[in-house]
Amino acid sequence: MDVKLPRLGEGADSGTVAALFVKEGDQVKKDQPILELESEKAVATIPSPEAGTVTRIHVKEGDEVRVGQLILSLSGDGATHEPPPAKLMDLSVGEEEPAGSVEPPLPTKEPRIAGPEGAVLPPGIPPAASPSIRKLAREIGIDLSRVKGSERGGRIVMADIRRHIQYLQQLALRPEPAGGEALPRARPEPVSIDFSRWGSVRREKLTTLRRTISTKMGQAWSAVPHVTQFDEADITGLLALKKRYGARFSKKGGHLTLTTFVLGLLVGVLKRHPIFNASLDEPTGEIVYKEYIHIGIAVDTEQGLIVPVVRDVDRKSLLELSIELGRIAERTRERKISLEEMQGASFTLSNQGGIGSGHFTPIVNSPEVAILGIGRGAVKYVVRDRRVLKNVVRGSRAEKRMMLPVSLSYDHRIIDGADAARFMVDLVDSLEGYREADVKAGLR
Amino acid sequence: MKKTQTEIVVLGAGPGGYAAAFYAADRGKKVVLVEQEERLGGVCLHKGCIPSKALLHAAGLIAEAEDSGFRGIHFGKPRIDLDQMRAWKESILEKLSKGVTGLAQRRGVEVMTGRGYFEDSSTLRVETSGGQQFVSFEKAIVAAGSKASLPRAFDLGNPRIMTSNEALEVEDIPENLLIIGGGYIGLELGTVYAILGSRVIVAEALDSVLAGADPDLVRPVVRRAENLFGEIRVGAKVMKMATAGKQIRVEMELGGERREESYDRVLVAVGRTPNSENLGLENTGVTLDDKGFILVNDRQETADPKIYAIGDIAGGVLLAHKASKEARIAVEVIVGEESAFEDIIIPAVVFTDPEIAWCGLTEAEAREKGVAVQVAKFPWSASGRALSFDRTDGLTKLIIEPESERVLGVGIVGAGAGELISEGVLAIEMGATARDLAESVHPHPTLSETIAECAEAFYGTATHTYTRKAER
Repeated sequence: MDVKLPRLGEGADSGTVAALFVKEGDQVKKDQPILELESEKAVATIPSPEAGTVTRIHVKEGDEVRVGQLILSLSGDGATHEPPPAKLMDLSVGEEEPAGSVEPPLPTKEPRIAGPEGAVLPPGIPPAASPSIRKLAREIGIDLSRVKGSERGGRIVMADIRRHIQYLQQLALRPEPAGGEALPRARPEPVSIDFSRWGSVRREKLTTLRRTISTKMGQAWSAVPHVTQFDEADITGLLALKKRYGARFSKKGGHLTLTTFVLGLLVGVLKRHPIFNASLDEPTGEIVYKEYIHIGIAVDTEQGLIVPVVRDVDRKSLLELSIELGRIAERTRERKISLEEMQGASFTLSNQGGIGSGHFTPIVNSPEVAILGIGRGAVKYVVRDRRVLKNVVRGSRAEKRMMLPVSLSYDHRIIDGADAARFMVDLVDSLEGYREADVKAGLR
Repeated sequence: MKKTQTEIVVLGAGPGGYAAAFYAADRGKKVVLVEQEERLGGVCLHKGCIPSKALLHAAGLIAEAEDSGFRGIHFGKPRIDLDQMRAWKESILEKLSKGVTGLAQRRGVEVMTGRGYFEDSSTLRVETSGGQQFVSFEKAIVAAGSKASLPRAFDLGNPRIMTSNEALEVEDIPENLLIIGGGYIGLELGTVYAILGSRVIVAEALDSVLAGADPDLVRPVVRRAENLFGEIRVGAKVMKMATAGKQIRVEMELGGERREESYDRVLVAVGRTPNSENLGLENTGVTLDDKGFILVNDRQETADPKIYAIGDIAGGVLLAHKASKEARIAVEVIVGEESAFEDIIIPAVVFTDPEIAWCGLTEAEAREKGVAVQVAKFPWSASGRALSFDRTDGLTKLIIEPESERVLGVGIVGAGAGELISEGVLAIEMGATARDLAESVHPHPTLSETIAECAEAFYGTATHTYTRKAER
């Protein structure tokens, strides 16, 4: 039987073969991992759909494979099987493959709406159309090489233009196809620069992950008007609590970190400022407020940034969060996180404190509308009591405190500066006013 | 020092420049048209297309009369009054030029006579007889044209060495005339002088004359010219010229041999040079190619956002009708319309005897581009109309894309080919197929029938010739 690459999940239709676990001649059991596929932000293990002997492997490590592509052949009952989808998610309305077909279910790039298609012309031969039709096409921006001409010799007449416009309208009403490849991007063609003119260089291919990050960041940066709000929070008290209760958390399998605290207190802050837990639905012109709180955690891995999601943060105790955080970070670094574990966040937290440095301007992980960045705490002399701030010159005492730099980037399309300032004040107050009772309660 | 403010200034009043000025005025723009010559019309009207066609017509009359003996019509030897011929020719140019001036007036186009010079990207200085004028403009269209090239080695300051400018004045009929260059200008003027009585020698450096046209179209012209002209030499290089009394001594290399000959006059027709010097273009953002042509895109825009260029000075084929088309495109772009010089068919006509005309793809171009085409031909020996005036030395051919049967190119050689080619232009521009041409009724007896018959020949069903059915 032929084993083809099964569907991978929402939005993913290809990946790079990261590792092959079997070789030709190997006996495999049903569901035994046969290869590891690096796709988008996950490494997925592809199981064997049947037991049998591997007669032929059609891919090698580093190959880019698409859903439906033949990956290996198994000796077995001889029938052609498609492995069960790796994940049951309907992304192919009306595209179910007829049983027994050997054609791979490649996602079609061509628009599925029945429509005209330009004639195939030898290079250098313009499409056949009268000057007046060509002028019209130029004026309304229609590429005649994509228009099917109905007259003798494929000549394009007014009726063909009308049909083509109707077809384009239908296309425009359709949701953007997966990957969005059908629509041209209003982005200048990137050009290669020869840096070796200025000295020797080394070139390295982008990994799938890096490509994904690059695309996502580029899109978010150009689509979202970013503003970043900075502040500092006095976490001297919080660190004392961490020290006092750390061991008790460890005893129960958790690991109490600053991230755990922040994750926990974000629940309250987000509930009091729901716009930060929302999304903008541009096509409908609506703001979508989410009743759930799923927080993405930026994890630094060897290969690059990965953002797994901690789900239902508001329904989890501090202990549960501390356990989950530890596990998820580890699984992420081992690239064992699945695609769906990285989807659905309503807010993102990026803690660089472990590495060092202070304020930074994180990029909103669109369609989320805000992201909180945390730097490394530093001991500073501060005047704690805000009410006596005016009296500094009159000799109020400065104290040594551990100050945490916090940065909040937000989507200014739906969040105003005042909202952000209020969010920040609330966040800082929450950090500074963390009560011991909350930690105790969180131990359950 | 006078200052004028305008929306558009057009530099040069040839068939590109005046077409641009008029169209811009028709589109509601305030236009100043600057021309250094007293009369509007440019090279085309005064030193090119029109006077050469007048002379060719006169010469054709003589040839026709001479050739009529076998029809039972006998004329005496013609007496040629060159002064009167020149005056007649002048009267035609005068009439046309006045017409252009009148059209400018009626449109409210301000005509300024004098040399134009760009001070910067928004000011043109014009040296008029009444002093300097400064025209500040929003957009400029440069249509300053080209001039006949006279390589320095040939420029002895001797009036017996002519370019087309002087040759068109027909000061005398030289006994021996050397024409350097076997392009269309050389052959057209050679025809005039040969019929008027000169012994014409054509020296072409390349392997064939009229290099741009398909060889099967050139053949009838060469055949006739070989009778009319003293000699047509290909692969001939003129090395040196020197004044020798009332003659010019010419050193020529031909077939590896050097020969020295004397001529009464020499016509240098080796191409044309753009008039891009002394226009002050260096004070603007306009860029030139290595031959001095202004670099433009398909919207006629130069590297300077305020300046457009059209016609000969913008390079490409140096033809009046190409300039006029570019004029319209430049104006359309200026008024904000979507327009571009793209997929536009520019026909070419050589007014030799017989004429050659072609448009669209030539056979040579099809080969170069690797476009698979099928060629359908119809010889004029099968045309009743051609026979009726003894001009069966013609050929009509269609270059057809065999899959769609679309007509991609048309080539015609024969008397009046220049008048016939427009149907080909229309066919290609409209995306017509051979079937469309075959099924359109052409009047009998006319030469235009050769086009329809040619299309029918493509299907193997031409009435007046037998073609074996193409295996399709």
